[in-house]
Amino acid sequence: MLALPCAARAAAGPTVATLDWALLETLLAMNANVVAGAELRQFIDVAVEPTVPAGVTDLGLRGIPNFEALYHARPDLIFNSNFYLANEARLSRIAPVETHSIYLPGESPFAHSIQATRAIGERLDLPSGVKMIERLESQLGSQTRILAGGDGRPVLPINLGDARHYRVFGSDSMFGEVLARLGLTNAWTGATAYTAMAPMGIETLATMPDAWIILIPPHPADALDALGRSAFWNALPPVRDGRVLTLGAVNPYGALPAAGRFANLLTEGLARAWNG
Amino acid sequence: MHGMADIARPQPRQGRGMAVAGLGIACLLLLLLLLLVWLMPAVPGEPGQAETLHSILLWHSLMPRAALALLAGAALGLSGALLQHVLRNPIADASTLGIAAGAQLALTVALGMAPALLLLPREIIAFGGGVLSLAVVLALSWRRQLDPVTVALSGMIVTMIASALSIAIILARGEYVMSIFIWGSGSLSQQDWSGVLSLVPRLIVGAIATALLMRPLRVLSLDDAAARSLGVSIHATRFAVLALAVWLAASVTAIVGVIGFLGLAAPAIARYCGARTTTEITTGAAIIGAGLLFAADSLMQLLGPGFSDLAPAGAATALFGGPLLLLLLPRLRSTLNLQVASVSAIRRLSRPVVGLAVLFAGVTAVFLGALAVGASDDGLTFSLGASFADLLPFRLPRIVAAGGAGAMLAVAGLIMQRITGNPLASPEVLGVSAGGGAGLTVVLFLVGFPTPPVMLGAMAIGAVVTFLLMMALTARSGFSSERVLLAGVAAGALAMSIMTLVLAQGDMRSYILLLWLSGSTNNAGPLHAGIALGALVVLVAPLAFCGRWLTILPLGTAVARGLGLQVARARLMLAVLAALLTAAGSFIVGPLSLTGLVAPHLARMMGFQKPGHQLLAAILLGAGVLMGADWLSRLVIYPYQIPLGLFAALISGPYLLWLLSRKSGSST
Repeated sequence: MLALPCAARAAAGPTVATLDWALLETLLAMNANVVAGAELRQFIDVAVEPTVPAGVTDLGLRGIPNFEALYHARPDLIFNSNFYLANEARLSRIAPVETHSIYLPGESPFAHSIQATRAIGERLDLPSGVKMIERLESQLGSQTRILAGGDGRPVLPINLGDARHYRVFGSDSMFGEVLARLGLTNAWTGATAYTAMAPMGIETLATMPDAWIILIPPHPADALDALGRSAFWNALPPVRDGRVLTLGAVNPYGALPAAGRFANLLTEGLARAWNG
Repeated sequence: MHGMADIARPQPRQGRGMAVAGLGIACLLLLLLLLLVWLMPAVPGEPGQAETLHSILLWHSLMPRAALALLAGAALGLSGALLQHVLRNPIADASTLGIAAGAQLALTVALGMAPALLLLPREIIAFGGGVLSLAVVLALSWRRQLDPVTVALSGMIVTMIASALSIAIILARGEYVMSIFIWGSGSLSQQDWSGVLSLVPRLIVGAIATALLMRPLRVLSLDDAAARSLGVSIHATRFAVLALAVWLAASVTAIVGVIGFLGLAAPAIARYCGARTTTEITTGAAIIGAGLLFAADSLMQLLGPGFSDLAPAGAATALFGGPLLLLLLPRLRSTLNLQVASVSAIRRLSRPVVGLAVLFAGVTAVFLGALAVGASDDGLTFSLGASFADLLPFRLPRIVAAGGAGAMLAVAGLIMQRITGNPLASPEVLGVSAGGGAGLTVVLFLVGFPTPPVMLGAMAIGAVVTFLLMMALTARSGFSSERVLLAGVAAGALAMSIMTLVLAQGDMRSYILLLWLSGSTNNAGPLHAGIALGALVVLVAPLAFCGRWLTILPLGTAVARGLGLQVARARLMLAVLAALLTAAGSFIVGPLSLTGLVAPHLARMMGFQKPGHQLLAAILLGAGVLMGADWLSRLVIYPYQIPLGLFAALISGPYLLWLLSRKSGSST
């Protein structure tokens, strides 16, 4: 898997910290010397990979980061994104701040992820950054070949909000871009507000009868059970024909590691479904 | 007793009139349903499949949704009528009594923190939360014989505390907010008949139970003594009816979320249409509730682009709540002549200046402590020297911002208590800080990402408009305690419902609003500290010349006029000052902190009587309380932090509840 190969080697180099989850997973995956990240408890549930080494300081909620905890973690360098721009002045009192934004309205998060990964790799003098990009490209290439033998149906990656609402991801989202790179069609062609659209009523699924529905956890504990009992859900063509896949949790606002994880889980799931 | 409890007397002619009106309304609703079916957007794709899916959408989404709107509306209308009847309170319903907020909190806790609880049916969890809230509200107003004003106020405070807790949990869970937003704002969208099927038996049981309880209910509308002499066990009946009403409301909350103020509106409209007997009112309320919710939900669907809801129906109906409460005010007469307990001084200070000096020393100590002591992974750490200098830029702005906001809110509360002569008046209770929030909401809609000064200006306008409106509405009654407080509850409800509409969107704007509601000082920088200090100085300085006004105004309009005061002008100026102080204070700590209520009380309790002394003491206490709360809020769950506004509300809320539960003492 994309993130794991070098995880065993001890991290070295300048100590780094970030409030942004996309940058956090990028740093962890390239085996940078991460000393602090925000909201780690939730990160472990949502992003799952890469694993967060013990000893990384939790900075509390992303919206209310604890600057004192960051100060005590003594990073040499802080990576920031446009989401936390308001904190820049205070962050720069602790260590020099470099900003790499991945999610900008109307721009490609995949391209920005590659850019950020390359720039961070160069900045930290870690060749693992470039390797990560190359590995992802070859991974997507071989997965595209596997998927080319599939049924050619569009794919609809969604997060369940509850049993009656979901969040859908457009072509400008990370999921959407991975689908495009895998040669798959995104079933959602409608508008998005900042890469995703929520809340969508579950009845709108009827307008995408040909699609594979890809459920991406985490979702509320009782939502799936309630869906299973729903007459409407069970009457939907994708559900009736067994075209529903539940993947492992993936951070919808991640960077290359999340993209790779999503591609892996999706290819694995679709290939297994097609081959019975 | 008020109008609602008029002795039951059948009025056949009105009955027939109602039947005709009912028929007309039924026709209208049917028309609306036909319009919905007719305008439903077509499903794309190959014709055969599209037709199947279209019929699924029609029969498994649109129809159950319509049925559910009718059923939920009826259940809430019935629940409201029962609550109003048994509490003899025309403004009782699931929203004003805190039942909905309690149910929502229980479900938020289950969803966010204890998923194991979700093994229980949602209705049970919601019912538990609702009952708990109602129990608190009733326990608080028990000694005042469930006086309507006390009940409404307790309900408001319980709602406030429950919302504060819910927001804290939502913030702490980050990604999971989506479902809680939808759920909290009452979305009726359905894709099968399960919601309908689970509500039908409940409504039938509710209707039967209401019918069985009709005789004791009718007797209950007499006074307690008369009822007792007719052999009705008053308490047993009351509890049975209350439990029934909560169960109905909680079931609806569990299935579709909070539908604001429907239970308030339905019986009121029934009574307005001429329903007089208990039977007429309960049936009328159920029917009108059904019609109202269906109409609101249909309109939201029809008005939204491509049949996606313009807003969740529950948030839409909440918009009626505030104005309706204001309309109902004149009909409301408190059963007691309310003398809200004001705190009395423990002892009068013989030398208040010394007291002020001691207070100042104490506040300085808190300030220094908050500057020097913080948490780290190794536990509490006392920082000196270099690390103190390093941490200073993070601690100083937030401490100054918190202290300045506390001082401003304290002064605002003090002024409000003085000009209305009401010890419970404060920015939070009078809905002025929520009014500021409504201003913020409007500007978020207009501008998208406003700069801090624009946000502050919008909040100032919102707060001033709200407070002046309330003063105008209650001036005729001579600022009677009940009127002022209830108008405040109404204003707060209206402002909150406007904010709910934005929160329900679940986008970046709702995140900004949520952060503001929680009152976090973590991101306070030099700008916030500067605003807090600057506004404090500019707005409090004029008060140095208003000492006489502050002394005389609480004595009442007549006395003040007799003493040669231009009452209206004095009130207006002070009101604008108080509203501006509120806006600046809640810009930093949000609308929930309750500091404006607590600080003037503490000052009075400590024995500072003269306006000048009380003012200075309140400033010091307000600043000290919020600086201390800010300090604690960064220590208790380190490295995670509780936003200051929520933290302060959770500390001050119980104090306010305790204050309400006391027997009346001396008034201001």
